[in-house]
Amino acid sequence: MALDALSDVDDEALLVLFANGDADAARSLNLRLTPRAFAQAMRMLNNRAEAEDVAQEAMMRLWKIAPDWRQGEAKVTTWLYRVVANLCTDRLRRQRSIGIDAIPEPEDDKASAADGIQDAARIKALYAALDDLPERQRQAVVLRHIEGLGNPEIAEAMEISTEAVESLTARGKRALSALLKGRRDELGYSDD
Amino acid sequence: MNWGIPMTERDLDNLDVFFDAARRQAADPSPDLMQRVLDNALAEQQRLAAQAAPQARPQRAARGLLRQLLSAIGGWPAVAGLATASVTGLWIGVNPPAAVSTTAEAYLNSGADTYLVDLMPGFQFDDMAEG
Repeated sequence: MALDALSDVDDEALLVLFANGDADAARSLNLRLTPRAFAQAMRMLNNRAEAEDVAQEAMMRLWKIAPDWRQGEAKVTTWLYRVVANLCTDRLRRQRSIGIDAIPEPEDDKASAADGIQDAARIKALYAALDDLPERQRQAVVLRHIEGLGNPEIAEAMEISTEAVESLTARGKRALSALLKGRRDELGYSDD
Repeated sequence: MNWGIPMTERDLDNLDVFFDAARRQAADPSPDLMQRVLDNALAEQQRLAAQAAPQARPQRAARGLLRQLLSAIGGWPAVAGLATASVTGLWIGVNPPAAVSTTAEAYLNSGADTYLVDLMPGFQFDDMAEG
């Protein structure tokens, strides 16, 4: 399979191949990066349809920037994290401005029924609380604690210092804790 | 559980339960999304290729005889100059200014003798035939 030949090629080199019209490079980048972009958007928005739109838009921007990509300046994945985060923030801002307070029910197709219900309740509560955080705090908390990125990577994606990331996540977690505290009983909280 | 206590590190740790739940949530892209993104990628590649192509196009367009002539003399602006010169020439022929008429008459009707100058009197065509 042709994609095997490109498995050792790094993202930047694949972008160059893509810009030169290599269709295998397009396929390879799609397989590598679209799932990442989608997962990040899904975790930031908790809405499959919106997350798909964001992932498609972010990847479209990648295809368009490919011919002008500056080698060695930023990792492709970091650039993509930044674009997805910004697109998500735009959407969240719009949602807030038109007052949508309905948090979509989380999708769960693999956990057992009881765990699934508890997970779904927690996810719903978490995203409801995240909605009340300032945008930058929300972005930092999601990237750090749900997406699992390291502080230096988040700093690069958000174009701020590592100290600022630490401060944002700390404040974000404190605010989240305060917001969730009132809902723990109704969530049947029993994990500690 | 005592939720009335001030926020402690333990409370912050409890957030992991929520984060874990969010992480467990299925976040695989649909095959439809993968296909849409790939379609966009291939379309963008075609657009890039089409953008690069126009540089070759003028050479192909210059194949016609009229186009070749035009490009040899400098395109349509040169044709405008050529047309102006032609009309001016025609006008001078039809209605020549006095200076032109006089000069032309001097050459054509002066009755002056025409001189034949033989620069190589010793040379004859017979010599060529022999040699």
